[in-house]
Amino acid sequence: MKQNRENPGDLLQGTLDLLILKALARGAMHGYAVAEWIHQTSEDVLKVEEGALYPALHRLELRGLLDAEWGTSENNRRAKFYSLTAAGRKQLTQETEFWRRMSGAVARILQTA
Amino acid sequence: MFSEWRNKTWLQIKALWKRPQLDRDLDDEIAFHLAMREEKNRAAGIDATEALHAARRQFGNFTQTKDRSRDMWTFPSAENILRDVRFGFRVLVKNPGFTSIAILTLALGIGANTAIFSFVYAALLRPLPYSQPAQLITLGCYRPQQSTPDPLDNWVVSYPDYVDWAHQSTAFQSLAGFSGDGFIYRGNGESQLINGAQSTTNFFSTLGVTPFLGRDFAPGEDIASGPKVAMLTYGFWLTQFGGDRNVLGRSMQLDENSVTIIGVLPRNFEFAPQGSAQIWVPLHVPQDFTTRRNMRWMPVIGRLAAGVTTSQAQSDMDTVNAGLSALYPEANGSIHIVLVSLRDRIIGRVQSLLLVLFGAVGFVLLIACANVANLLMVRAASRRREFAIRTALGAPRGRLISQVLAESMMLSVAGAALGLLFARLGIFLLVAAIPQTLLSSTPFFRDAHANPAVLAFLGVVAILTGLAFGLSPALQISQDRTGDALKEESRSSAGATRARLRNALVVAEISFSLVLLVGAGLMVKSLTALLHRNPGFDANNLLTFGVNLPPTAYPKDPDAIRFDHRFTEHAAAVPGILGIASNSIIPLTGGGNSIRFLREGETIAAGQESECDIRDITPAYFSVMRIPLISGRFFNDIDETSDGPKHVIVNQSFVARFFHGEDPLGKRIRFTFSDKQPFREIVGVVGDIADSGLDSPPQPALFDPFVQGANSFITYIARTSGNPANAIASLRTTLHDVDPQLVLIQPQTMQDLIDQSASVFLRRYPSYLIGSFAALALLLAMIGLYGLVSYSVAQRTRELGVRIALGAAPRDVLRLVLGEGSRLALIGVAIGLVAAFGLTRLMRSLLFGVSPADPLTFVGVATLFIAVALIACYVPARRATRVDPMIALRYE
Repeated sequence: MKQNRENPGDLLQGTLDLLILKALARGAMHGYAVAEWIHQTSEDVLKVEEGALYPALHRLELRGLLDAEWGTSENNRRAKFYSLTAAGRKQLTQETEFWRRMSGAVARILQTA
Repeated sequence: MFSEWRNKTWLQIKALWKRPQLDRDLDDEIAFHLAMREEKNRAAGIDATEALHAARRQFGNFTQTKDRSRDMWTFPSAENILRDVRFGFRVLVKNPGFTSIAILTLALGIGANTAIFSFVYAALLRPLPYSQPAQLITLGCYRPQQSTPDPLDNWVVSYPDYVDWAHQSTAFQSLAGFSGDGFIYRGNGESQLINGAQSTTNFFSTLGVTPFLGRDFAPGEDIASGPKVAMLTYGFWLTQFGGDRNVLGRSMQLDENSVTIIGVLPRNFEFAPQGSAQIWVPLHVPQDFTTRRNMRWMPVIGRLAAGVTTSQAQSDMDTVNAGLSALYPEANGSIHIVLVSLRDRIIGRVQSLLLVLFGAVGFVLLIACANVANLLMVRAASRRREFAIRTALGAPRGRLISQVLAESMMLSVAGAALGLLFARLGIFLLVAAIPQTLLSSTPFFRDAHANPAVLAFLGVVAILTGLAFGLSPALQISQDRTGDALKEESRSSAGATRARLRNALVVAEISFSLVLLVGAGLMVKSLTALLHRNPGFDANNLLTFGVNLPPTAYPKDPDAIRFDHRFTEHAAAVPGILGIASNSIIPLTGGGNSIRFLREGETIAAGQESECDIRDITPAYFSVMRIPLISGRFFNDIDETSDGPKHVIVNQSFVARFFHGEDPLGKRIRFTFSDKQPFREIVGVVGDIADSGLDSPPQPALFDPFVQGANSFITYIARTSGNPANAIASLRTTLHDVDPQLVLIQPQTMQDLIDQSASVFLRRYPSYLIGSFAALALLLAMIGLYGLVSYSVAQRTRELGVRIALGAAPRDVLRLVLGEGSRLALIGVAIGLVAAFGLTRLMRSLLFGVSPADPLTFVGVATLFIAVALIACYVPARRATRVDPMIALRYE
């Protein structure tokens, strides 16, 4: 599951993908809503460079983890809505599990100091 | 990840049509995002302009985002390639000198390869134009007492054997026989001789050929008294009947018979063994041939039954043969049956020639590639700064490599296009160089042209050559480090790797062309040896022709003998004719009859007796041919009477083989085809002649007087005082005076006969071809060497200037430069000699009278090469001695 780290931004690529998947687990949303959700849920700790979001969304779509459909936004504008596919859901579970183990391990190491 | 790659490729392909739509969608999506963010900012109380700017800031690099998304559905590489091609085109056009030399070199290499390949394809790769050609087998037989077991030498069967084989064998669907024929055709104008063929009625169905018009032969049409019908070849139908479809049922005059036309063969019909036949008629077997098992004259082809292999067919035929041997021990007791596929039978003799030529021409292409690679590398060296600057400005290395490759591909494609023209010209010339008689026995060569297979070959060769010569300069660029190239002074010495690579290319060129030159040398030497081989007779000023005596006017042997006497007498009186004689075959052309005999006192099982060639000759034969008498005497007047004493003359091979060198004079032999045959005394021994071709060893032969073995087809040989061709007209008049209905058949000088013979052609053709390939190769290699040395001199101008300034004499400089060039030449020559030593044995079957490792050729070629190489190096070396140290030092 290696990807080129094309944009070494504030977030690691894998992490951004995981956050996108998590965001969409709640239902279909457009790119802006995904960005907003990440800001709010992380209480502005995680700063997504919003531009980086779109190539990530498109790549996930290409990998078959997301479905995309044009629809109408809450304020009646044409917007592209993304939703999880079955593969995307599975990926989310795996990635979440992996992240938990990783962060748990890192936390344990830090505690020993 | 495969699925992602597949999705991406699919998206890219779909995107080709909906790219504007996708671009718009991307713009919309981003615009929506910005609008939402701006709205939110404004709601938070930020003023309008600032809200927009903040939204943009938060978004980040706008274009980059779009580019990264867009790359997912576009082919960036394809677009880059187009750009490379455009740029490459400009670069190439700007250097017309370099470009035209490179294209011309490649065109020569590719064109020559394509031309030769089209021959290889037509002869070796293209299936024979029959249905399921792999099932077609030829059958012949041989007797160890008479001929060599080489299958290609044995392809005749007796008619009764053929009939028995057809009945008894189970391995074949059908067996068919054929034989050559010739007719006097009285068409619209005067009588002419046309070549024809006779075949059993199932011949065309065995091949799987159906007539283009009309019907096939019907069973029963091949008995001697059967209806006289004929099948026309397409070409004959066009030329003689103007392609008239109403030709069926019409009759035409062949010899003295009125023959009904029943069909026309398809346009693409060819049958190499009877390639010159224009008319096919059913086989009319003379009555005595249907019973004489010893009369082996008919080539047989067979179509294997479904699923039967050649080796199964061989064992089936061996069983059949064993039965016939037991039944007819006298005729069949020592017969072996040989099976050869029709394909091998047809192309067996040209296969090695074509493969050698193909190999040779492949070398030419390799040399051309090496040459162009060298040119490109020299040029790339002078463009290093250009590339370095572009790298510094951010061009990825891959892009530079792909640009160099694009340039070389364009060169090779242009070379291929021009090469196709050369190839077409080459094919035309190559076919034109094949003598007509040989071309008719290799009809597939007429099919050598730029067909799709040849064009596909051309395409593949173009791409491979483009890669081959483009890769080294491309690699060279990829090894450059930007800083070095920029820092380096423009004229200082090039990197060691690069120099080594260029040296290696020149060494390779030299060794390849040396191999070619050795091959050409061996071919030329074979040709010379062949043409200087003493054929055993004086081949100058001889004219040969045939006369066919129709059975109605000359029904019996005495009639033929009377004709011969009269005609010989008249012809010998013609001014310019020194002598005239006849033989049952024309010397050098092979064929003819053989006869079985017993030596007096010899007891041998029936069917195991010796066999040798037999020639029926008129008295003047040996003197006209100038064949030396070794011992004994020629035929005298008493021998020359049909009821005179039975005497024979034998040749030296006969004595060696059957009398082991003992004096055979006075010994007697008896022919075994009939119990009534008397013993015949050997009265003379004559020298051997090359009876079946200049490259064939002489065969044992015995001669008996024509009066005792007359024939209705007589071959004459006349010795003339001047050019034999000038005697044709007067001989024609003489023949007409003797009998107006007779035709002078195929008059030909012996010299033409030799020139057009397969044995000479098979050496002359490759001599010229490999010779010109080798000359081209030598030229290219020397241009390569010259270029390399010149370049190195130009690069070392400053060093040379320093040397001269420090007191080096011109001689020292000359030696320095010459030494460098000749070192490469010597390495190339050494490698080439070893390679040639290994490779020339592959052409052994083409050589005559010279060993594949002929030391004289090897040493001669190597010497020539070194001499030419020294000249190629001398010119730039001279230039090096004239370097003015002041200018050289100030130059930087």
